[in-house]
Amino acid sequence: MKYWGLFILLPCLLLAQPEFFGYFESEASTMQIGTSNYNYGFNKFRLDVEARPNDHILIGANITAQQYWGQTTWNMLDFIPEEIWTPFFPPDPLSSQAYSPAFPITIPDTLFLDNVYMKISLSSLDVTVGRQQISKGVGYAWNPTDIFNSKSLLDPSYEQTGVEGLRFDYTLAYTASVSVFIQPEQEWEQSAKQGWLKVNLGSFDIELTKASHNWGYPTFLTGPYLQNRSLLGASVVGEVLGFGTWFEGSSFQTDSPLATGGDEEWKEFIVGVDYTFENSLYILGEYLHNDLGVADKSELTLWDYLGALDGASHSLMQDYAFFYAMHPTFDFVTLSAIAFTNFNDNSGAFSPIVDWNILQDANLSVQGSFFWGEDDTEFGLQDWGLTLTATSSF
Amino acid sequence: MKVKLFIMVIASISLLSGQTPTAEQIVDRVTTIMSPESSYSKGSQTIITSSGKERVFQFESWAAEKGKSSLTRYSKPAAIRGQAFLMLNNADDIWSYFPRTKRVRKLASHAKKQKMQGSDFTYEDMGGGDVFQKKFVSSILLEETRNEELVWKIEMIGIPDQEPPYPKIIMWVRQSDYYPLALDYYNDKDFNTKSLVMSDIQIIEDYPTAMTMVMTDNKERSSTTMRTLEITYAWQPPKGFFSERNLKK
Repeated sequence: MKYWGLFILLPCLLLAQPEFFGYFESEASTMQIGTSNYNYGFNKFRLDVEARPNDHILIGANITAQQYWGQTTWNMLDFIPEEIWTPFFPPDPLSSQAYSPAFPITIPDTLFLDNVYMKISLSSLDVTVGRQQISKGVGYAWNPTDIFNSKSLLDPSYEQTGVEGLRFDYTLAYTASVSVFIQPEQEWEQSAKQGWLKVNLGSFDIELTKASHNWGYPTFLTGPYLQNRSLLGASVVGEVLGFGTWFEGSSFQTDSPLATGGDEEWKEFIVGVDYTFENSLYILGEYLHNDLGVADKSELTLWDYLGALDGASHSLMQDYAFFYAMHPTFDFVTLSAIAFTNFNDNSGAFSPIVDWNILQDANLSVQGSFFWGEDDTEFGLQDWGLTLTATSSF
Repeated sequence: MKVKLFIMVIASISLLSGQTPTAEQIVDRVTTIMSPESSYSKGSQTIITSSGKERVFQFESWAAEKGKSSLTRYSKPAAIRGQAFLMLNNADDIWSYFPRTKRVRKLASHAKKQKMQGSDFTYEDMGGGDVFQKKFVSSILLEETRNEELVWKIEMIGIPDQEPPYPKIIMWVRQSDYYPLALDYYNDKDFNTKSLVMSDIQIIEDYPTAMTMVMTDNKERSSTTMRTLEITYAWQPPKGFFSERNLKK
């Protein structure tokens, strides 16, 4: 039943002179955590199909095959400080073997239909039905108004997976629109619902949003705990004193606060700024405050880590900064760098990137990542990493 | 039709009277000729770097309100297929759309000076409208012959309060129809940073149209050739065409 849309839309796709496009991506990485070194990577092939039977209908789908190599089974405890998980994995006093607890997660090879949707455009109304990408918010590294996705700080602009649902976009005027997205579940109360109003005022884009959804909060031992959350959020993007500036924030509420440490209400917001210099150097900075994160490192629990790793919280702790700089330095070679820091535990990372458009449809990139902080901090736990990515689009 | 008639009448009166028009009159007429009410075109953009490497882009472009509003959508290369840019208010407001992330991003005005897809054209260069009239003071430097055409050489000095895209532009305008054949762009050190040359000028639906434009970056020794593969000025924008909704189509 999961891919019900495929059976309806595939015949239409094939009959409507579809366009095929996509990309192949191969990634190889190495990572050092303490005394352990891990080599891993993947080969990914994505095939997109789009068809327009007439001016009012767009049918789209993409199939992604991803094959992993090297380290494919990970011990999640390697990514969590020892003092956090030790109480849950006490050493067996009767065992003569070395103490090496594990919480293994295996990443299997996958072949999946990421998106399959049909978009019907009428005079002022767009209706999109099926599995589709939903990318909410104006933030670059974090999106407090996005209830469907979470981003990797080392690659925040990577594509998001699809969300099954029904979306309505109604244009009120040239500069205003109202949208509703519903992700149906077995019961209406459990279905995720989000609505937003977007208005352009002068050089500012303003968005107000309201949402409710059930979050499967991981409890590790007893299975996911469903927490109903409602959200009231806003975002503004525009220009102040010549700088691109943006704000995105949400106020959350829940009537089942067990999974959030008793918190019934919390707020999360980002502020960001960017600028492009005459020499094409682009810089961006963003600050995140998340009440749901933990302020003091000594109060972190295993559930906080699992929640952050799972995406139930947009961050592990409360206060972060993110920086990005990019410059097209040589012919088709772009040098860029990412840096981010956790102000609560004084850990962070610096990640230089070289991106080379080696041929018309081929890119090669090298990304290093160097982490700082104590061994029991969020980012200081890791030491360094290196990733080589080759991509070819067609 | 009214615009066509206006251009012809103005040009004829000026030529028949034998009087040299003022620089402001020439710039006014250049603006009129270069800013049709609306247009739809398909084009290619070839970037050649100083080391001879080449990248080819293909795009569709729509413009209205004499170039005040425009939308450009790339179809090639494959990696940027579907990437689109919406420019309103003569590129004062720019939104970009990235299909891989399905995300629309509003760009601040400083981004206007960014190279469009790494080419030698900036977003600002692609904006139309009355920039030459409102942001520059013009004067005729001399009359000369360029490519066997009689031209006026016009100097346009940017008005600082109006935030001109360049401090100075030199423009060569063909006397026969007021069509610009070339522009040199200068920086604040009076260095000729970029040069734009128009060629293969054809009459398309009564408008002279350069089917080839070459922008050369004199500092980086790179160039971008913009070729018009198909164009019509008869296209009329449907209601709400220049909107975020259409940017994502």
